Amino acid sequence: MRFQFAGLALALLLCQYAAADSNTEASSEAALPSIRLAPGDDKSGYDSTAYQTNSLSLEHRKGTALNLAAFAIEPQLGLPDPKESLELEPNAAEIALGRRLFFDRRLSRNQTMSCAMCHIPEQGFTSNELKRPVGFEGRSVKRNAPSLLNVRLYERFFVDARETSLAQQAWSPLLASNEMNNPSIGHVLEQINRDPVYQQQFKQAYGKPADMLNVGYALAQYQQSLLAGDAAFDRWKYASDKTALSKSQQAGFELFTGKAACASCHLIGDQYALFTDQQLHNTGAGYQASMLGEQKEITVILAPGIETTIPAEVAQRVGEPKPNDLGRYEVSLNPKDRWKFRTPTLRNVALTAPYMHNGEFLTLKDVVNFYNQGGQAHSALSPLIRPLNLSATEVDNLIAFMQSLTSSKLKLLVADAFAADVQDPE
Amino acid sequence: MIKSLFKVACGLFLVSASGISHADETCMSPYMAKIVGQEDFVYVWTLGEEGLGDEQDKLVTISVNPDAPDYGKVVDSLSVGGRNEAHHSGFSDDRRFLWAGGLDSNKIFIFDVHTDPAKPTLHKTIDDFVSKSGGVVGPHTFYALAGRMMITGLSNNKDNGGRTAMVEYSNKGEYVATHWHPTDEDLRGAEKSGQFADGYGYDVRVMPRRNAMFTSSFTGWSNYMMDFGTMLADPEAMKRFGNTAVVWDLHTRQPKKVFDMPGAPLEIRCAWKPNNNYCFTTTALTSQIWLMYEDEQGEWQAKAVADIGDPSKVPLPVDISITSDDNGLWVQTFMDGKARYFDISDPFAPKQVYEKVIGSQLNMISQSWDGKRAYFTSSLLDNWDKKGELDEQFFKSYTWDGDKLNLEFEVDFKKEKLGSAHQMRFGAYGLYGMDRPWENEQSDEGADEAAE
Ligand code: HEC
Ligand code: HEC
Repeated sequence: MRFQFAGLALALLLCQYAAADSNTEASSEAALPSIRLAPGDDKSGYDSTAYQTNSLSLEHRKGTALNLAAFAIEPQLGLPDPKESLELEPNAAEIALGRRLFFDRRLSRNQTMSCAMCHIPEQGFTSNELKRPVGFEGRSVKRNAPSLLNVRLYERFFVDARETSLAQQAWSPLLASNEMNNPSIGHVLEQINRDPVYQQQFKQAYGKPADMLNVGYALAQYQQSLLAGDAAFDRWKYASDKTALSKSQQAGFELFTGKAACASCHLIGDQYALFTDQQLHNTGAGYQASMLGEQKEITVILAPGIETTIPAEVAQRVGEPKPNDLGRYEVSLNPKDRWKFRTPTLRNVALTAPYMHNGEFLTLKDVVNFYNQGGQAHSALSPLIRPLNLSATEVDNLIAFMQSLTSSKLKLLVADAFAADVQDPE
Repeated sequence: MIKSLFKVACGLFLVSASGISHADETCMSPYMAKIVGQEDFVYVWTLGEEGLGDEQDKLVTISVNPDAPDYGKVVDSLSVGGRNEAHHSGFSDDRRFLWAGGLDSNKIFIFDVHTDPAKPTLHKTIDDFVSKSGGVVGPHTFYALAGRMMITGLSNNKDNGGRTAMVEYSNKGEYVATHWHPTDEDLRGAEKSGQFADGYGYDVRVMPRRNAMFTSSFTGWSNYMMDFGTMLADPEAMKRFGNTAVVWDLHTRQPKKVFDMPGAPLEIRCAWKPNNNYCFTTTALTSQIWLMYEDEQGEWQAKAVADIGDPSKVPLPVDISITSDDNGLWVQTFMDGKARYFDISDPFAPKQVYEKVIGSQLNMISQSWDGKRAYFTSSLLDNWDKKGELDEQFFKSYTWDGDKLNLEFEVDFKKEKLGSAHQMRFGAYGLYGMDRPWENEQSDEGADEAAE
């Protein structure tokens, strides 16, 4: 263990050196810090009595800042020209400010919740540890927290595509009663403008105190720097590195673009791959949650390798009713839009479990099995979703392919996030 | 140092004329003065409920001395602002202050309970616990050490998960140190005796005569704040429970040994008798009583010694309380609302000998030092309590005659528009050298003097 820590320290040093040098160099594999891209509290294998913990120390959760302004415009294999996907011109002062805001737990009504509490850096900027995040005072949130990696590549935001810019998006969680629950925009601004560091930072970045617009800009500045391409798949596809993908992953690619037709929605282009068509579709996942699946009993995990089954009504006595979610319909009120959700990118998908708008799919295998059976049949199902007749090996190959989409840049971004101070009341 | 030793000595040997001697009501710190006679008050740290009364957390004072003119009544209610997820509280070693924490807001409220035990006042609020401690979230147990308050955390400000630390404060309310629980990456010198070193925390107890300190493990913010029914149906969330207990060196605060204890071991209660070198805890999810004991070689060991109810039905044992003679253990099960009494005269073979349904849900118990009185409250966590009609919120006072519990009185916390009743602590005039006002009135006319 001690050895590992020394290794981490060394890697961080190297990374610091490289980052200071140039970001292009910083992105090279050798300089990557040994950061775990998973919860620091590892629960893999928990369903077995042989489970062993593999937990990291929070005291050692330290990182190295990255030059995000340069990083945000650095071309990455597999991604479109970075200059074309910018919402705002990257600016170091604004990014630094946005990063501080992002990790500031004081920005919620009772000063306990930052953006990063639901979009946790080492968990793919989402929450791996629950299906749907928990908001202010523990209130339920009905949707899974999406990853913020590559978020700027979306044309519209939220899983129902209801928001049109990142800068605007920021006010939704700040004001939502079940997220950060601030009583008003003015309240947030006063809170920010009381802090001497912010006074300084806003002056430097915007020449004036925090206001409704620049808070959104600053948060957008930070989030648009979270670009994470250059995955093994990209080296294979866009840099002719034939060894970058395993046989199984290559077979998975053939299925993804062929027999399984995943790429009809999760697009892969000749120059780059967004893995989204930016459109809304009904895969049946929403229909299934709304209309089916009344369980009589539920299986409850009690400890490693120990579970029990209890009548659903026992859980109902201590729980609120399951939330309903009609997807795009909730925005448009058009019955044709019932259970339609925006196609998510699949970049870094191996790190962003659980899946779908409600987090009800715990593993990539659950997702592929769902598609394999033809989603959930019903009258509004997308015509592109149909039974696939994939063999078990084909299912595994598809999963292996999706595991090749993890960015080589991620550790840099997570190390940078670890270097950010978390703000709490002082 | 000398000063704090002196304080320990005071705590251990103080005997006052009004029947107050050392140590409390069976679950308190050995560093602290106890009430061995009749307690006058129970302080109930109460959660504010949306839509009920003033909606905020409060310290509710209930008169429990049968001789008092206002016996059985709520005599005071002190609102602190906000729903902080009021949970546990503990007295300072001199028992003059009651520290009470908010698991959500991370605020710590220090109440003065000695100036007027019938009417506590808010002495100080600590609201920088998270930043001072280096990121510890969810101040849970407040456990008095000599001149110090040891506060267990439940979570952290990085991922709202279960990895956490103990945080030490001075009696004045100044931050002293953070003691992280051992993890695989940094065991901090402890031995990982089994498969787990999760770094989670929950309760703390000490056994000064063995220089030992014990901690247990629960879960992080995102679970203890989550809707309980939603969590039960979320397999990822259900993996985020502690499976360890740790024995520490009390003096150096170094963790020594990590025990595997699957299924969230919660409250720890150590035996009182000088040769009984063992402590009990119960696992909330797996419904077992565990014993941590010193073996013949002087090595601490841990062992599951009994089941609580039918573990496959998840009765959810929550609070426990050991009798001062070390022969009995009360175990409350939340789901079925039962108080269960175990005969633990053989600590390796506890046997349930009595049970009674106290309400639709049940969490805390506080018993008197002589074991003759037991008080119960209903609330577990705001979002874990039952919903609708089943969400009874009460304080119930019972006498225990050795065979059964007899209800003396109850306070309906919903009817009184108070909130959800959580942890209880006892107060008494005698602790502070005061006479009980009603005894004054009866015994001498000079009571006026005291009042002036
Ligand atoms: C309580 C948890 C929570 C907090 C706190 C939170 N988010 Fe989110 N975030 C979510 C959830 C859930 C969604 C998906 C909601 C939806 O699509 O309707 C989301 C969606 C987003 C999206 C849209 C992503 C996409 O794929 O379109 C962005 C951007 C975002 N959040 C940024 C932020 C920022 C910035 C903050 C802080 C100001 C923040 N979030 C705070 C849970 C949270
Ligand atoms: C009709 C368009 C369409 C097709 C075809 C399609 N998907 Fe999807 N995919 C979506 C949409 C829309 C969602 C979001 C659904 C939701 O949130 O409920 C999604 C979600 C996913 C997710 C979850 C991502 C996350 O972050 O939650 C994965 C993984 C995925 N798809 C993989 C595949 C694979 C593999 C295939 C081929 C077998 C495939 N998809 C075919 C539209 C499609």
